[in-house]
Parts: sequence; structure tokens; C-alpha cells
Amino acid sequence: MTTFLDYLLGGLGSGAIIALMALSLVLIWRSTRVVNFAQVGQAMFTTFIALSIQTWTGSWFIALVGALAAGALLGVIIQYLVLRPVKRNDTSGAIIATFGVLIALQAAAGMIWPGGSQAFPQPFNNAGIEFAGRVWPISVYDFVVIGITALLVLGLTLLFTKTSLGLSMRAAAFNPEVAKLSGVRVSRVLTFGWALAGSVGAVAGVLVAPVSTISPNSFDILLVYAFTVAVIGGLDSLIGAISIGVFTGLVISLVSGYSDSGNAPIVALLLLALNLILKPEGVFSHHKARSV
Amino acid sequence: MLTITELSVNYGAVQALSNVSIEVPKGEVTAVIGANGAGKSTLMRALSGLVKPGSGTATVGGVTITGRKPEDIVRLGVALVPEGRSTIPELTVEENLRLGGLWRDKAARNATQVQVFDLFPVLAERRSMRADTLSGGERQQLAIGRALMSEPRVLLLDEPSLGLAPLIVTQILELVSRLATESNLAVLLVEQNAVTALRVATTGVVLNLGKVVMVGSGSEIASDEQLRNAYLGY
Repeated sequence: MTTFLDYLLGGLGSGAIIALMALSLVLIWRSTRVVNFAQVGQAMFTTFIALSIQTWTGSWFIALVGALAAGALLGVIIQYLVLRPVKRNDTSGAIIATFGVLIALQAAAGMIWPGGSQAFPQPFNNAGIEFAGRVWPISVYDFVVIGITALLVLGLTLLFTKTSLGLSMRAAAFNPEVAKLSGVRVSRVLTFGWALAGSVGAVAGVLVAPVSTISPNSFDILLVYAFTVAVIGGLDSLIGAISIGVFTGLVISLVSGYSDSGNAPIVALLLLALNLILKPEGVFSHHKARSV
Repeated sequence: MLTITELSVNYGAVQALSNVSIEVPKGEVTAVIGANGAGKSTLMRALSGLVKPGSGTATVGGVTITGRKPEDIVRLGVALVPEGRSTIPELTVEENLRLGGLWRDKAARNATQVQVFDLFPVLAERRSMRADTLSGGERQQLAIGRALMSEPRVLLLDEPSLGLAPLIVTQILELVSRLATESNLAVLLVEQNAVTALRVATTGVVLNLGKVVMVGSGSEIASDEQLRNAYLGY
């Protein structure tokens, strides 16, 4: 029983990171009906930028803020250069274009930051906390990760429910025509959505880098998890991305603990398959059905 | 207030609207009637910027609106209530209303919202409920309320009677005509339901296959039997 609880605790940090990555996919899906497969590429790229800033300034905090800004900028650039020229209503074209962006970003990163996997300096203590006479499988860094994730989720919730910009974003996502007729500048709102998703993904990248390493392909597995989570959560639900994200983190930790960490992606895909059979519209979706 | 001059719209090779000229004065309801496919909705979409007209102009108080984007046209004081109760079901009643005037400053927006709630008390009662819990008539009121939130000088109403019970249609149209008089609003009403539309309209315009075939007072058109038989089918 203690082992079980330990495995659960140990999965919280990675669950939060997967949730953030899924959140960035959901943010774009909601407003444009496109799954942005380039998202992990963007996060990888901005994490390399963060690493450069960290090496240069020695400050993890400045690196995090830099990644946030770079993520927003990169999101806007990709939307302008790649997604806007793709014909409207050509959803499959747009999705394939995002794959192209992913490959281009990975190739570019390999050229700009050569030398394979690099370590990202550990900003906080990542050793298990000692408390009440034992070592717990959760570190100060895990708390930082969970705290930043919670803050971001709170901020996004306030943005969507309390501000005019958030209302514009929701209206533009649900019914762009009515939004335009109401005076919402829909294309600007969509661009802002790409910036926002880029920033959220960038944070996920900076948070995961110290516990893995950073290379052009090191976040690929994160894409598998985040995509799984976003689909199971219903693709348009922020709550879905967060709760299923954390849940998946726990499942991965349990599977890795009781068997082997190599089995974790297989279990995640099994969860995805199960979801598509039993509840194809997703657990938290607004929509009644979705064809698979 | 709204002057439409020789407006034409083409969908590919099909001319949906050809050389339509209509004058919509303020303080009155002007009704455009005609059968299905006469070009009524096309006219509304062209005026609100959702489709680009091929030629011709529309001006509001002297300012040209044709060729502009929908989000700019609404800022110039032209608000469309599209066909089919165009509320956003996932948003609450109050969010749907707020959406209608988001770009305006908060004080002005709130003042208008109070007026809309006076006009449609049921919306005030249901303000925090999702729009998809409303009845058809209530949703039409919400759609009109959303358009009013932009404090328009010209209100475009596309088939407000669609799918509503006759009694509710009468109530809504009477309210619209009162609104036109009291707020000095220019209302352009597009309707397939000619009888009801002509009852509240000062001027009627008959549209057939994209062309204006007759302009006259509401009662004049309603009593023209030949015209009714030829174009309106009742």
C-alpha cells in the first residue's frame, strides 16, 4: 500500500507537465479545430532558447520568462506563415502542415544547437523530501511544477470566464460568424490563441527539461501523452486536459513502478483506444458525438 | 438612414442580387418580402459584410459600409440579427448580450444592457442560464438583444419569424416596430411571412429572383391581389 501511494505521489509532477502540454493542444483545437502536432516542437525549440538564456544569465526564472515570450512569438509566427495560408475549412491540410512545422523545427534545432542531448540545469532540489522520518517520492521541484501549473490553470480560467478577451475567444471558437457580427476581430483573437498556446507549451517544455534532457526529439513521447490526454479529455475541454493529464501521470508512474517504464507509452495508447471505443466524444466534451 | 444603391451580388455565375436600390429611413420598419430564393438573406449578408457585393454601394448616414468587414460595419452602427436565432448556445444569456457590445466602454455597455433588460424582462430573469435552455421565442429576443447591445442606428432582421408560433411572432414584430419609433432606429426586416411583416412595416419592398419588383406602403402591397398571387403565393 505504501508503495502504491509512493508511486501515485511520484506521478504528480509529470502528470502536471503532461496536463500543460495537453492544455496547449486544447487551446488551439478549441479555436481552430486543428490539432497542432508542432506543439512539442515549439516547446523543444523554446526550451533550447531557455537553456541558452539560462547559460547566459544564470537565472532559471529569466529563462522561464524568456521561454514564455519566445513561445508566444513562435506561435504567432507559425500561425501567420503556415496556418493562415492554408485554405479555410481544409482541416486535414492544416494538420499535415503542423507536422511539417514539427519536422522543420526539429531539423532547425539540430543545426542551431548541435551535439545531441544536453542537460538542463536543475533549478530546485529534485531529491525526495525528508519528512516524518522517511523520504517521500516527491521533491521541492515537483511542488514548483505543480504550483506553476495550478497558477497557469487559474489564470486561464479567469481569462476565459472574467475578461472581455476571454469571452471573445470563446465566442470566436463556438461561432465565428456570430462573433464577427458582434464586432469581435476573430482573426486577431485566433492569433492570440496561438500565442497563448505557445506560451503554455513553452512552460511545459522548461518544466520537463530538468528531469529529462533536451534534444531535438526529446519531447516526442510528450506529444504521444499530451495527444492521448487531449483526445480522452474531449479536445475542447480545459478541465478535461488537466484532470486526464494528471490521471495519466499517475497511471504512467504506477505502470513504470510495478512493471517497466518502457511499458508506459503502450498503456497510454491502450487508454486512448479504450476511450475511442467506449466514449469517442471524450470524457469532458461539449459535443455529443464524434466520428472516429 | 440606410441607402442601398444598385447593389449586386454574385455567387460564381449565379446573380443572387441585381441592382437592388432601397431607402431605409429612421424611425420606421421597412420590410423586404419575397419567396424563398428571392435574395433576401443575400441582401442581409451583403449589408453586414458577410459576403462582398459585386457592385453597388450601401451607405449609413453618408458613410459607405459596403466592402468593409462585418466587425467594422457593426461599429458603424449596423447590426444584423441573422436567420435562425443566432445566439451562442454554450454561453449564458448575459455573456451573449455582453458579446454584442464588447468593444464599447463598460459604462455605455452596462447602460444599454439595462435598456435591453427593460425591453426583454425574461432575459433579466434568465441572465445566468445557458442560452440553449431558452425557448425559441426567448432565444429570438436574446438575438435581438445582442444586436441592440451595439447601440445600432440600423437594425437588420433576417426572418425573425422562422420556426416561431404566430402569437410570438406578432409580439416580437410589434416590439420591433415600437423600438423603431421610440429609439429612432432604421429597421430593415426581411420576411417570407409577408402578412405579418407588412402589418408592422411602413414601406414594403417585394424582391423576386434578386430584383426589386415593387416598392409601396405596407398596406398597398398587402392589398394588391395580383402581386400576392404572382410573387408571394398566398
